Amino acid sequence: MGGDFTAWLRGRADEQLRALVTARPELIMPVPPHMEGLAARAATPSAVGRALDRLDRFRVSVAETLASRPGPVAYEELRSSLVRALPHRSRTEDRRQAAALATALREAVDRLRTACLIFGPDEALLPAPGVREALDPPAGLGPPAAEVFRHHAPESLAVLLADIASGGTAAGEAGTEAGTGQDMTFMTESAATAGETGRAAPPVRRLAALLAEPGTVERLIAEVSPQARAALDELAWGPPSGRVAGARREVRAATARSPIEELLARGLLGATGEETVTLPREVALHLRGGRLHRDLTPGPPDLDGVARDQALAERTAAGQAFTFVRTVEELCELWSHDPPGVLRAGGLAVRDLKRTAQLMDLPEWAAGLVVEVAHAAGLVASGGSVDGEWLPTSAYDAWRVKATEDRWALLASAWAGMDRAPGLIGERDERDRPINALHPDLRRSAASEVRLRTLSVLAAAGPGIAPTAASVIGRLAWEQPRRRVAHRDRLAEFTLREAEHIGVTGLGVLSGHGRALLRAFPSYGPAYAPKSGTGSGPAELLAPLLPEPVDRVLLQADLTAVAPGPLTSDLGRWLALAADVESKGGATVYRFGENSIRRALDAGQAADELLAMLERHSATPVPQPLRYLVTDVARRHGRLRVGTASAYIRCDDPAVLDEVVADRRAAVLRLRRLAPTVLASKTSRATLVDALRAMGYAPVAESLEGDVLVSRADARRTEGQPLTRAGTAAGPDPDMVAAAVRAIRAGDDAHLARRGPSDAPRGQVPRSPSTATISALQEAIRQGTRVWIGYLDSQGHATSRILEPARMEGGYLTAYDETRAAVHRFALHRITGIADVN
Amino acid sequence: MNDGPLIVQSDKTLLLEVDHERADECRKAIAPFAELERAPEHVHTYRVTPLALWNARAAGHDAEQVVDTLIGFSRYPVPHALLVDVVETMARYGRLRLEKHPTHGLVLTSTDRAVLEEVLRSKKVQPLVGERIDAETVAVHPSERGNIKQVLLKLGWPADDLAGYVDGEHHPITLAEDGWTLRSYQKEAADAFWHGGSGVVVLPCGAGKTIVGAAAMAHARATTLILVTNTVSAHQWKQELIKRTSLTADEIGEYTGTKKEIRPVTIATYQVMTTKRQGVYRHLELFDARDWGLVVYDEVHLLPAPIFRMTADLQARRRIGLTATLVREDGREGDVFSLIGPKRYDAPWKEMENQGWIAPADCVEVRVTLSDEERLAYAMSEAEERYRFCATTPSKNRIAEALVRRHAGEQVLVIGQYIDQLDELGEHLDAPVIKGETRVRERERLFQAFRDKEIQVLVVSKVANFSIDLPEASIAIQVSGTFGSRQEEAQRLGRVLRPKADGGGARFYSVVSRDTVDQDFAAHRQRFLAEQGYSYQIVDADEVLAEGEEDPAR
Repeated sequence: MGGDFTAWLRGRADEQLRALVTARPELIMPVPPHMEGLAARAATPSAVGRALDRLDRFRVSVAETLASRPGPVAYEELRSSLVRALPHRSRTEDRRQAAALATALREAVDRLRTACLIFGPDEALLPAPGVREALDPPAGLGPPAAEVFRHHAPESLAVLLADIASGGTAAGEAGTEAGTGQDMTFMTESAATAGETGRAAPPVRRLAALLAEPGTVERLIAEVSPQARAALDELAWGPPSGRVAGARREVRAATARSPIEELLARGLLGATGEETVTLPREVALHLRGGRLHRDLTPGPPDLDGVARDQALAERTAAGQAFTFVRTVEELCELWSHDPPGVLRAGGLAVRDLKRTAQLMDLPEWAAGLVVEVAHAAGLVASGGSVDGEWLPTSAYDAWRVKATEDRWALLASAWAGMDRAPGLIGERDERDRPINALHPDLRRSAASEVRLRTLSVLAAAGPGIAPTAASVIGRLAWEQPRRRVAHRDRLAEFTLREAEHIGVTGLGVLSGHGRALLRAFPSYGPAYAPKSGTGSGPAELLAPLLPEPVDRVLLQADLTAVAPGPLTSDLGRWLALAADVESKGGATVYRFGENSIRRALDAGQAADELLAMLERHSATPVPQPLRYLVTDVARRHGRLRVGTASAYIRCDDPAVLDEVVADRRAAVLRLRRLAPTVLASKTSRATLVDALRAMGYAPVAESLEGDVLVSRADARRTEGQPLTRAGTAAGPDPDMVAAAVRAIRAGDDAHLARRGPSDAPRGQVPRSPSTATISALQEAIRQGTRVWIGYLDSQGHATSRILEPARMEGGYLTAYDETRAAVHRFALHRITGIADVN
Repeated sequence: MNDGPLIVQSDKTLLLEVDHERADECRKAIAPFAELERAPEHVHTYRVTPLALWNARAAGHDAEQVVDTLIGFSRYPVPHALLVDVVETMARYGRLRLEKHPTHGLVLTSTDRAVLEEVLRSKKVQPLVGERIDAETVAVHPSERGNIKQVLLKLGWPADDLAGYVDGEHHPITLAEDGWTLRSYQKEAADAFWHGGSGVVVLPCGAGKTIVGAAAMAHARATTLILVTNTVSAHQWKQELIKRTSLTADEIGEYTGTKKEIRPVTIATYQVMTTKRQGVYRHLELFDARDWGLVVYDEVHLLPAPIFRMTADLQARRRIGLTATLVREDGREGDVFSLIGPKRYDAPWKEMENQGWIAPADCVEVRVTLSDEERLAYAMSEAEERYRFCATTPSKNRIAEALVRRHAGEQVLVIGQYIDQLDELGEHLDAPVIKGETRVRERERLFQAFRDKEIQVLVVSKVANFSIDLPEASIAIQVSGTFGSRQEEAQRLGRVLRPKADGGGARFYSVVSRDTVDQDFAAHRQRFLAEQGYSYQIVDADEVLAEGEEDPAR
């Protein structure tokens, strides 16, 4: 069969191979040398497993149905057997379902064939090599009878056979005929050996053969009590085994006392352990009435949810988006002045997160999210060294001056693409240690994928629908039933909660800008992305929904200022200096107090300036108490003066100091007379002592006591690099795919022709400048042509090769090397020259 | 974008822009479920608290209405989390109900079994309930009706008390509207109370709470127990009732430290009720002395803790609470809610003032610069002595005296905390001083003389804070006060807020020592008054002295 598959694969058009590689990118990592290699790789359990994991429940069912049949199956046959598996409701409903199934099946078969999980023409579809094994056991069926009864002693099997036969051998023979009449045979081991029902065959084989005859099973089932029948029905749709005490007991049909015993005595159940009984596959298939799946649905399950006003949802999301941007800015400002330390094991201490949450007035999970998103967006980073601090990066400064919508778009896409699960912060890991924010342990490889899938499910719900968490999780499970993602349900729940907080959704409904965000991730977007409005990015869609910045505040006699909307950034920064924020939201309430006014005065503002600024931005006159407060604080401000001097000269005799100041040589010392007996200097104490000595005095250095240095800590920036964004979960780019297919094809041609490595043309490749080399290679990649290059190998020997270049990246060229008949990577700097092959 | 007058903040405060054209409409819509926290000139701040939401629920509003109101008036999108919280909080009220059961008496029932199970697991609830009647009902001993409501509120599942009231002993009471009529809001307040069964009416000082009480009595037409803060207040209630209702002096008894009369309408003071002798409350029997049909609590925000405990046993009787503010310094707002009842009526001060029911007031803070010696002495004084020192400096007294002179011819109250200072002021001003040791008779005589304008300046200590009626005081000068308590402030302002015959404005001065702790307390006061919407100015003492007879604040 492997050979058939390879031949079929070879017969695929380049375009189809490209589709295959796009759907299963792991097949070209690394690029296989030829078609046999590709076929072999496509059949490995891990590759098949990954491909199956990507299928939705219906496609898995199609693959299972095909895999459970012994030989090739025609498309029509496949369809009719699947139609039988549809649940019966009403006649019209059935017809509608059958029509839906027909469409879905066509697409499913094409997709499965594209992905090379099934192959062959419609008349004879076959599962690809490895698929049958990967799907075993299919659809919750138990092992075949031969497997179930393998470890039974021959004598007990003989007893069993006798009991089965005692119901009447005639019935058994009739059953054989009935069996052939059945229009559908599933592949079981016993079916394959059904021919040898002769007495000579071992008892296990005989038993398996008997059970494979539907007539026999039917008769046996008819013999048992209703309770036993109910027990069978319980196991029919899986799981196929049950627990029962003393499974390996000796029972006879005539003396069976319990329902389980009745079944055991007839071989309808087999003991597979001391306390385990299992339903043989043959019996289960009979019980399922020729169907493989109980409730097959061609389409995904419906999403339940509340209908909301889309416009309101958009507005809510925009409001939240605005708040989120502001929160991130607040975090960075906070950490600029008071950065938390990096834990020795990396990450942010629980205490620091708590404090940050408190200062930002957020619940802890939300604070964790803000911190993580700021980190993922490259706005905060650690210095990297031990005992480092978490500080805003220089990227933050660039981000801060952008428009709100652009700032949001950056944060939201960082969130969507990050491979971390902030929702887990504060929980405990398997070693019962708390999981810290910003810690490497927070990485979950599936996080981004689940997040984007969740969003695309929300997108599929349609405008104004807020799907419930349960139905979103249900849909996710339907889309990839075989995929075992650790904590998928929890990650999806986190996503719903976080999307609301970030403003991707509003009232649970995906917003327009959220939808646009998803479009930036093509592997998740296109399936559901609406055709219209694809030109606008998230920022453009968000912008009109954001509140207009205002440049006026309402000043009140209780010393508050209310900004009835977001302030223009200058005014906002100024107010944050001169007043304390009391309440946040759509508006901001600031409170002026003695301390805040003093802070503004400290920052160099004069009382008149403060009042002028207030008058300029207030719609109403400045209230008298506020005016009074400003002047009253200013009155006392600066009465005490504090300065910086690095050294001083003190002398009880003012005349000596007069002398020093008058000396021209003292000019460089920048002396300042603070009092008749004190001079202050900007130079260091040592310089001052030396200079005075040089001038002929005999100064003595004094201790530093009383020397006060006052400075306000500046906003700091880390030296460390901002986090480089992890590559998104998108598939390989089309160029890469095309090149890989070309390389395989070329390799295959060489392989088929048993062509040894072909010799490069004689002579040296002419040397060419490196810029020319690169442009020529780019051209060759684009055109798909071959080139002749000179190359210095790792030993420094000059070689010459014929290449089919595939891809150029990071200083390396990936190409199919005809002279070595393999795909290699070449360092660009070692390519000495390039020429046309001809 | 919506152009509403309301901005919903994430900390559950609501900012209402009062100059907006829809502001009035919005105020009416949010008043049932949000407490007015601050009402300065441009933007009023309301807060949505669980108690406020439950009050709204008790008044028959549902969560949907609240959410619609918020979304409808909000200028910006309303935070989703807040809406969810509103819905969840409101859904908690009434999940549990106290009802009358034909055979088991009082029962606690719930249609939500999970909630019932949850509260029954609480150790605090277990001793209060009796046998389990069925899955959704459990018996409650009638005497625990109040306690269980308190406990359930603390657990976050406030019970809806539907068990009804006893009618009490019938006694005819009608309003005697001769020459005066019930103001519209007073009628609304009394009706709202009667309709709700029990609850609290919030009206500013001077808005005629006594009359609301009288109107409530006229509704009940039953024997009534009135609990007031002190003896003077008791006298005033009695006089007011005689004047406003069909009741005669014989029908009204006073139950105070000196008199122990029990009549169809009895007025008792908190003090006498909470007097203990040998560890026992001596006067508890008053509650059982008659079959009271109505209990009136004056100044609910001052209700002492023992009265709460006694009230817990009175849950079968109708209760009305009267207060100027639901803010309690001790934070027992929840007890008021569960034991007296939800808020039934509320009217903002400013609104009443605009309608002319209470006098507009100007607040002026006079900053006195201490002399150099005083500053040095202040800097060296002990921490616990500091306030007293800066509150009673001679510089301050001089200013107070200057202010009194400025307002010669007007009715002036000088209010202070320290008796020495008051005595000194009284001496300088040649004015009588009312303090704790002044006898009731003497007090009443002085008050009457003040009312009759025989005396124009009266110096009072904090004993005058509560429930005295000084209708013609147009100027109040505060020279010292207890550490900036909000409640005290409301009371003091109430002294001068009573409507005056000539409709003139009132003036509230506080004299403050600059650069001392006195100024810090003054800052609290300023904030509170400005938040209440009063105009507030700060002037320097020098201006007061320099400008002599001219008014610096005008």
